[in-house]
Amino acid sequence: MENQYIIAHADKSVLKISGLEIKGLNTAQIEELLAARMKTAVRVIGVTGDAIEMDVYNIDPEQIRRDERGLIEAVSLAEGIRLTDLTKMVCGEKIVDVDFDSIPDQPLSACARERWIKW
Amino acid sequence: MVMNLIFILPTGDEIHQGIVRDIDSPEIISQSLAAFPQAEVTRIPPVLDVEQTIVEKIKDLARRQPDLIVLIGGSGGGHRFSKSLGKDFTHTAMERYLDEHFSHEIYGKNGHMWCKLIIGKKGPTIFINVPGPYVEAKSAYEAFLKGLASGLDLKEINHAMAEAVLSLYPSQASLPL
Repeated sequence: MENQYIIAHADKSVLKISGLEIKGLNTAQIEELLAARMKTAVRVIGVTGDAIEMDVYNIDPEQIRRDERGLIEAVSLAEGIRLTDLTKMVCGEKIVDVDFDSIPDQPLSACARERWIKW
Repeated sequence: MVMNLIFILPTGDEIHQGIVRDIDSPEIISQSLAAFPQAEVTRIPPVLDVEQTIVEKIKDLARRQPDLIVLIGGSGGGHRFSKSLGKDFTHTAMERYLDEHFSHEIYGKNGHMWCKLIIGKKGPTIFINVPGPYVEAKSAYEAFLKGLASGLDLKEINHAMAEAVLSLYPSQASLPL
């Protein structure tokens, strides 16, 4: 058994759109629609019956927030999504770097987050 | 290496419930048939994000001695990092089942595991997983088939699959820990 570790040095923010009715969502289509609108890469990372969570790469979160209406309109074009009166968008800040110099060679815990925080 | 019997096992509550359409399985079927036109390729009904359920399902499928089992989704840190994300148990289920395997873990610079790709062999069957996002599943499986056709060993194929997924994250460079 051999495990290799790789670090992806990508800037991203998490974008969540809630208050939706979702059934039969084509995630590739929604990624394409939003990528075209924001001109950057988008990846759907979580979907429930009423919300979508996405990673958005290399874009200022404030820029995303300013275009809330446009982004929600873009989302509404995807198959399997209906907007409701409760539809809203929340965009978090960019991810924060951790210090790679202090990472141990071997995992100390089964929980990766705990492992990084400990050191 | 020729593959005559391939099982594709999508995972995820959202896939099982039809909230998200399974567009990865058709892509993997298509690629499989392009590479092995004579093969029987079967998409298994999706399993829920429960580690024991996934382990039991792959045990059950392995009894039929396929050449390849492809598990889709559940490859990230998921619920371990965010309560709102799905439960990612595919990689831990595979680790429990496979005696020997190779893996690559891709971490974001925030310290969260974005993806873990595993490859292993038990009996006559090769086991791999691919991430749930369509572009990543497509790219990882392309790399698997290319590596297989090139005669790479399992460790090298796993590396090629990880590189393929990593290359899809914009503006990054890889660093081995």
